[in-house]
Amino acid sequence: MVDIKAFSIRKITAFGLTYLPFADAATEAVPLSRLLRLSLFQVTVGMALVLMIGTLNRVMIVELGVPAALVGGMLALPLVFAPFRALIGFKSDNFKSALGLRRLPFIFKGTILQFGGFAIMPFALLVLSGFGKAAQAPHWIGQVAAALSFLLVGAGIHTVQTVGLALATDLVEEKDQPKVVGLMYVSLLAGMIVSALAYGALLEHYTPLRLIQVIQGSAVTTVVLNFYAMWKQEARNRVRGNAKRGPDEKFGQAWAKLSERPGIIRLLAVIALGTAGFGMADVLMEPFGGQVLAMTVAQTTRLTIYLAFGNLLGFALASRVLSRGALPLNVAIYGAMIGVPALAFFVVSAHLLSVLVLTLATLAAGFGSGLFGHGTLTATMRSAPREQIGLSLGAWGAVQATAAGVGFAMGGVMRDIVLSRMAVGGSPAEAYTPVFLLEVGLLVLALLLALPMFGRKVAAPEEPKTAQDGFAESNAS
Amino acid sequence: MSTNDPNKVWPTGLTLSEAEEVHSYLIDGTRVFGVIALIAHILVAVSTPWLG
Repeated sequence: MVDIKAFSIRKITAFGLTYLPFADAATEAVPLSRLLRLSLFQVTVGMALVLMIGTLNRVMIVELGVPAALVGGMLALPLVFAPFRALIGFKSDNFKSALGLRRLPFIFKGTILQFGGFAIMPFALLVLSGFGKAAQAPHWIGQVAAALSFLLVGAGIHTVQTVGLALATDLVEEKDQPKVVGLMYVSLLAGMIVSALAYGALLEHYTPLRLIQVIQGSAVTTVVLNFYAMWKQEARNRVRGNAKRGPDEKFGQAWAKLSERPGIIRLLAVIALGTAGFGMADVLMEPFGGQVLAMTVAQTTRLTIYLAFGNLLGFALASRVLSRGALPLNVAIYGAMIGVPALAFFVVSAHLLSVLVLTLATLAAGFGSGLFGHGTLTATMRSAPREQIGLSLGAWGAVQATAAGVGFAMGGVMRDIVLSRMAVGGSPAEAYTPVFLLEVGLLVLALLLALPMFGRKVAAPEEPKTAQDGFAESNAS
Repeated sequence: MSTNDPNKVWPTGLTLSEAEEVHSYLIDGTRVFGVIALIAHILVAVSTPWLG
């Protein structure tokens, strides 16, 4: 009997090691393939963003006939959760777990929320649009359900992205962080491009059934990709799991500790201004090309591709120079420096009526925004001590997502103002000029805030801390 | 690893609190899935009633 028991324990333990979602004892260097796999969570985030901001924005207004104001309100709902990223990151830093996990439980819960939101979203939208017998039902059912589904997806995205980035930071040493940041940005971009093309093709001939299939397909894809991404990424940690904890650290205390580090608040302000400036340009680029330079839809769509290509170049260059020891904030400053003239050339192209100038300006704006995004995220990663990575990346995400959302919304509002001014009579170039000057102004402000920190490390840790600490900890278990 | 460690839950090799934690994720997931399924059914019933 004892033999059978010993035999089965051995078998089941071996089975468990293969089929449990925990990493093996942490290795010295995490191979690139594993990081690539982890970066898949960014693909699902990109997919969700494209589905909500791009595809559903259109489908709800055009095919479902929902009032545009209601659609705008629904799509803004996920933004409500953006500031909570800091709290989510803080919670994951201090998560109490017998298994010693900090990140996996949050990615799991975030994925479930994202899945749940997508699972009810198509029906909520159909009820909202009064499909079938839903027209006789009270209006609030559709509105509440749609709002709930967008909130769930938003909360899921914020959780998965914040904690996923924190996990990626945990896994690598400081010198490899630029590589990871580049990988994460490229995955996000790739996810957005691929899913935009896929949604466009799948929803070309819209039917309610097709809408249900597409959104629920996204839900399943999200779960599959996220589970594959987080599988065996975080090691169990007995030391952390069994650690006797004193009284809980409050969020306010942790935040005070982080914001005391020199330069953090300034860095966050730079991120907010720069992201809003670059983000507004993204929204306005296509209508600008169409109205001012009389470009066709195919041509303006190509502008988006040039922007993405510029982004990619920026990420690639930033990864390269940063892993060779450049300071991340310097790279971000160069990015903003490229962005200022690039956005200014948008205005110039309106006066020259030159598509070539606009194309080059778009490429340069993408390049600058790539450098800026990469540099600021890497700077954020390096600015926090290891035990506050979640909080600092949460703060980064809160600022970045809010600024991007506000920039996006403001860009939309400005586009409408421009349109109404054009209806009264006035040249489109004149209507767009102040808008682009505002964007340039935001970037200049970001530069002014960032320049005093040029050549300095943000909140350089007193003693060099590397991933080795974490590895030593988990090896001891 | 002793096979008769009283703190370990046979046969997984997890301690009791670790096993309970794994179980809590399962419970959480099931609850959320249950609520989501309920909401989805209500919404479908509102637009295309299949009862009555």
